[in-house]
Amino acid sequence: MRFFRSRLSPPILLLMPAFVIITLVVAVPLLFSLYTSFTGYRLVQPASLWQWVGLRNYQRLLTDVDFWWAFGRTLVFLTVALNLELVLGLGIALLIDKLTAGQRIIRTIMMFPMMFSPILVGFQFKYIFNDNVGLVNNAIQSLGWENVTIPWLVNPVTANLAILMAEVWMSTPIFAILLLAGLMAMPRDPVEAAKVDGCNPWQVFRHITLPYLMPFVYIAMAIRSLDVARAYDTVKIMTNGGPAGRTELLWTLIARTGYQDARMGMANAMSYASILLSVYFTVYFFRKLAAARRTMGGVE
Amino acid sequence: MNFVRGIQAAFFSCAALGALTAVASAEDAANWGSFPGYTLKVKLVGGTQYEKLYTRIPEWEKATGAKVEIVSSKNHFELDREIKQDIASGAITWCVGSNHTSFAPQYGDLYVDLKTLIPQATLDEFVPGTLAASMVDGRLVQLPRVTDVSNLYYLKDLYENADNKAKYKEKFGTELAPPVTYDELKQQVIFFANPPNLYGTAFAGKDEGMTGRFMEIVRANGGDMFDENWKPIFNSKAGVDALQWFIDIYNAKAVPAGTVNYTWDDIGQAFAAGTLAVDLDWPGFAAFYNDPAKSKVAGKVGFALSPLGTAGKRGGWSGSHSFSVTEACDNKPAAASLANFLTNYDSAMMEARAGNLPTRTKAFTDVVEEFKKSDTPYMADMFAVWGASLADARTPPLVPQWIEVSNVIWPELQAAIVGQKTAQEALDTAAKKATQIMEDAGVLQ
Repeated sequence: MRFFRSRLSPPILLLMPAFVIITLVVAVPLLFSLYTSFTGYRLVQPASLWQWVGLRNYQRLLTDVDFWWAFGRTLVFLTVALNLELVLGLGIALLIDKLTAGQRIIRTIMMFPMMFSPILVGFQFKYIFNDNVGLVNNAIQSLGWENVTIPWLVNPVTANLAILMAEVWMSTPIFAILLLAGLMAMPRDPVEAAKVDGCNPWQVFRHITLPYLMPFVYIAMAIRSLDVARAYDTVKIMTNGGPAGRTELLWTLIARTGYQDARMGMANAMSYASILLSVYFTVYFFRKLAAARRTMGGVE
Repeated sequence: MNFVRGIQAAFFSCAALGALTAVASAEDAANWGSFPGYTLKVKLVGGTQYEKLYTRIPEWEKATGAKVEIVSSKNHFELDREIKQDIASGAITWCVGSNHTSFAPQYGDLYVDLKTLIPQATLDEFVPGTLAASMVDGRLVQLPRVTDVSNLYYLKDLYENADNKAKYKEKFGTELAPPVTYDELKQQVIFFANPPNLYGTAFAGKDEGMTGRFMEIVRANGGDMFDENWKPIFNSKAGVDALQWFIDIYNAKAVPAGTVNYTWDDIGQAFAAGTLAVDLDWPGFAAFYNDPAKSKVAGKVGFALSPLGTAGKRGGWSGSHSFSVTEACDNKPAAASLANFLTNYDSAMMEARAGNLPTRTKAFTDVVEEFKKSDTPYMADMFAVWGASLADARTPPLVPQWIEVSNVIWPELQAAIVGQKTAQEALDTAAKKATQIMEDAGVLQ
């Protein structure tokens, strides 16, 4: 005790457990995985951990067309999914906020999709879009187009749309619940003052409600941009990145390389290259969040 | 006198029976050993079709005094991932693990050579080819519990339909009968296809399922995946012809367009729904297809041997689920005893009654007799066909890089099937990637 008292100030001492835990569970694994990305580490050959290959994994990535297609597709997927979820979540939150009765029940029902495991969502949507016995094609055939069979999960556009739909179905409630919390915390005086001043509903929404909600929007965006990798299980079940890599996202590619192929060194190199994507989205949303708070007169 | 002889005979019979029982009990005790108070940790494949066997574990516990602790029970792909993580972290704290002939080569020296722990007399009771396929680098790293090999299921009413027969004869000049060659199979699945109500067939279009079916036809066409120096050679003419077979039936709409995303369950559901005419599939589906509560085609399913390729051979893609014992195990005799118990004759019969192909030679013939006696000729017929096909059964290349190579092949096969590449282009690309994998591994110089 005397050792700590004499050398470390109380704030450092109090923060020490947090630093130690973060170092152990975050920094060490990160540094370790960074190191392995410069090795030929194979999961089933522990000795390969010391097989230093320098930049070879990264050099191969630079010329790997499949990786860059997956990178681009993930970028588009993230952008479209997050924006769609935002728009739909905002719409749902605004509608629920207007409810005067049964709001609690609706809020609970709205959260049901979040309770499903992404694997189950994958199986569910795989069945819905199955071209032979699936619900969508059966519905189309029941409506009179008896010979129509759309290969939803084969066509590059519809396959990605089907995955997008599964992801949006599963995750829109997260946006809705966060934005609903924002709406419920919003002071009503400015809205009423604007109405008294003659603003129409659109003007109230555009100039009062939305600016108040923006910090919540960016927090939701930042959380979801990191959390969207949960969609891995859904994609894995629905298409596993196929056919012919048409729905390959970074997560399916990295998981296959790391676990099935056991090439953990290469998988980690892929992860570090793709971490740029996460860093970009996080920095972007946090900047936007700070700007939104400045607009609202909040403290950064 | 006769009475006395009868008494004597009865006495000797009882004595002999008693002696035999005593010997059997002694053998059982000797077979399973005695490990009182020991807890054996195991990692077993989960899932309805695999877990019934585990109901026998209490019997082994009673015989040996040991306890079995199932520390993990997952589907095989998740279990494979977990085992790789255990190897990476050096945390092999368990003794018996479920294994598979396709996975086994990846695990290096994780598992012991069971020839040192299991008596040769016991090993001689296994189907020789199945046991041989369980070896990796000359080491018996697993005891097989059930074997898989594919043959044809077909809808009998389609083949017996007079109109179909007449049209087929008129079109091709031959009688309509279950196909003998892949060319005939292609011809018939295109003939039967009437989408979206009926497709000729469907195939597993992704993962190892796609690579495996391709490999099967490559081998049936006289080719192979690697040469003797582990150089990928599947982009040969045999390979191109095999891939073209898939492309042709896909383009003719004889298979659902979504088949490139199908796995076994999707195909099984489609055949059971009566939307496929023919299905090249595993034996585990036989009981499901004949169950009226689950299948629309119950009572209408026939069996035929898998087709021959252009080389007049069967591809016979085969694999076995198995049990292995870890090198790190602190009680290898107990672990080997459990693996032996779970693959013994009684276990094999239990698996066979559920429709799985057993790995003990005697169980094969006995279960067919049992099915005949219990008036279930459907299952007896199934075992007769599948048993006949075992002679041609071959595992995928038993090399640690197989799964990795498979993962570069199937996306290219898909690319050719959906028309993004020609068969030759796709296979050349896959062969180039596979070559790099084998070179990196130091297998191919």
